[in-house]
Amino acid sequence: MAFRRIDIDQYDEDIYTEEEILIDAESGRSAQEIESLVDARATDVRNLLTRGNINDALTKSLEDPPYGRQLENAKAKNIKTVIDVLNQFRSTDIPTAIKGLDVVQQDVLMKYLYAALSKPEQFNSGMLLSWHEKLTEVAGTGSIVRVMTDKRTVF
Amino acid sequence: MSSPDVHELTLKPITAHSFNGDRTKLAVCPNDTNVDIYNTSSSNWTVEATLKDHDKIVTGIDIAPNSNRIVTCSQDRNAYVWTQENGVWKPALVLLRINRAATFVRWSPNEDKFAVASGARAISVCYFDEDNDWWGSKHIKKPIRSTVLSIDWHPNNVLLASGSADMKARVFSAFIKGVDKKPTPTVWGDKLPFNTVCGEFQSGRGGWVHTVAFSPSGDVLAFAGHDSCINVAYPNADGNPTVITVATPSLPYLSLFWANEHQIVAAGHDCAPVLFETSNNQDWHYTGSLDENKKKVSTATSVLSRFKTMDSRGSSDNDTDLNTIHQNTILEMRPYAGTRDNVTQFSTAGVDGKIVVWDFDPSRVVKDMSALRL
Amino acid sequence: MSNTLRPYLTAVRSTLTAALCVENFSSQVVERHNKPEIEAQTSKEVIMNPLTISRNENEQVLIETSVNSVRISIKIKQADDIETILCHKFSRFMMMRADNFVILRRKPMDGFDISFLITNHHTEQMYKHKLVDFIVHFMEAVDKEISEMKLSVNKRARTVAESYLGEASRLFYKGY
Repeated sequence: MAFRRIDIDQYDEDIYTEEEILIDAESGRSAQEIESLVDARATDVRNLLTRGNINDALTKSLEDPPYGRQLENAKAKNIKTVIDVLNQFRSTDIPTAIKGLDVVQQDVLMKYLYAALSKPEQFNSGMLLSWHEKLTEVAGTGSIVRVMTDKRTVF
Repeated sequence: MSSPDVHELTLKPITAHSFNGDRTKLAVCPNDTNVDIYNTSSSNWTVEATLKDHDKIVTGIDIAPNSNRIVTCSQDRNAYVWTQENGVWKPALVLLRINRAATFVRWSPNEDKFAVASGARAISVCYFDEDNDWWGSKHIKKPIRSTVLSIDWHPNNVLLASGSADMKARVFSAFIKGVDKKPTPTVWGDKLPFNTVCGEFQSGRGGWVHTVAFSPSGDVLAFAGHDSCINVAYPNADGNPTVITVATPSLPYLSLFWANEHQIVAAGHDCAPVLFETSNNQDWHYTGSLDENKKKVSTATSVLSRFKTMDSRGSSDNDTDLNTIHQNTILEMRPYAGTRDNVTQFSTAGVDGKIVVWDFDPSRVVKDMSALRL
Repeated sequence: MSNTLRPYLTAVRSTLTAALCVENFSSQVVERHNKPEIEAQTSKEVIMNPLTISRNENEQVLIETSVNSVRISIKIKQADDIETILCHKFSRFMMMRADNFVILRRKPMDGFDISFLITNHHTEQMYKHKLVDFIVHFMEAVDKEISEMKLSVNKRARTVAESYLGEASRLFYKGY
């Protein structure tokens, strides 16, 4: 009866496979290259934070996020970089910080909020949820829709 | 006629609608296998005929304005062309040769062809085959990778735009030998044998493309996908098109049309038609909602009666209605009056079973986004 | 702790509003079928990225969206063994009667306590914002329900113990 367990649909040559969908989201850079970029950015962000320049640190951390497959390491590091910056804000400063971002940066930030929310053992959900609430007020549900549709995921 | 003119035809979703040329008849599908034809010449719309040959949900209806033929397509994989003989609508089966649901249908501007989008990852371009006396078809298959959700004809009767669930909008040639004359060159290319891919666009943010539309001149393509973005694509001679993307804070749009070369109206899950504008073809931006969002006046005005409902029902507000005219997603939107480059009225059909005819009046746009929120 | 409940539910509400944009979609794989793509999982391109919203490790919502259906899985807070048992009994009671709950899934997803499946047919018949309200209200109520049940179990245990021990001690004294 083993043949009954074969997923015959996988042999359908017309099917649009996950591989093909995700290949569009790749940047074409090697994993090492991306990881070193992520590390360099983490250092930059840390420098900005020590100088107390948290708004610039936020925009810097949202730059050029690592997209694609087989980048678990780089992605995890970058999530940490972004969330470390978010942790520095007082809750009253969040709305102004969000208004300082453009639409693309807001969408990236939304992606990182969801990325961190899926790891409650690692990040403080309370802080993330208040960012999420403020960001939704500004960027709307459209931003959340784009987190779901965009195959360039950050986690 | 007051605007917007609201007609609540049914409580079920209206999956497709189409008015005839002089706007005296309306064909709708109330989310089942039938197509109801309404007489709309008086203010009270009445059903005068029902077309029932499909056996799955009808997904697309289009009435050719001049030849008065109706084409319908359905999830049962079939399409029919209906012609009126002595007051009775007679179906003619179209040889679509597809093995999945048909999703969308439109007559070409000259009404000698129509295109049927389908879940078979193909578009059937149909034309009347004189020799055999039936509607035959040719398939556009490559490079479509998923269900085609919508199509739009270029005014030159040859080019066809499609939006599909593989997150791309494309422009194809649907040139049929014997039906079409050699088209004059356009910005989309000059040599156009059948199935030539003249353009392939995506917003980069994913999301299946729900709707596509050529601009009045046909030189620009607008499309909207499930990523809540409106995209406008300008083809370039060097093969690298310019795509302008407007990311909006609202829910995804399911339907759009060009009111003129500088204004696009889109509607969808937010239940209200919204306007996008440009002044120089580069700064496309969201302008506002065309639904005035009139707050209903509360019927229970006295404080006492309000406390009574609070006490008896445990809620202060028993209001389930939205502020918009459509109470659920708008599925389809079509120009109603005016010319291709100057639409003055348009109609919308929604999941709430309403058909609404709106005046296109950009001066009455509501700029406040917060009024749109659910 | 309770101060994170409101932002948690707000986040669930806005994410559900964004997710519940579904439409009628006929299967691309099986002829003349129309099934929830999120359950069928046969066409990858019509399935969106799943989103998780968490309040802490024990309270999470997983929202999986596709073109014609949304699956919502909820992890309910279980602080101790009694709550685990109560939660299990409670969700089982509901899922046995899933037909009457319309949007309830008969089985929860792995790692979650209860799952809902909302398809385009549900959003056509019901107001979308009311469906969202219902899920949010359910999440609010289920915590309350379980802690109330836990209180009554404890109360009952205390009463049983009191009356039993009271009886026993009376017998004990009578005997002597």
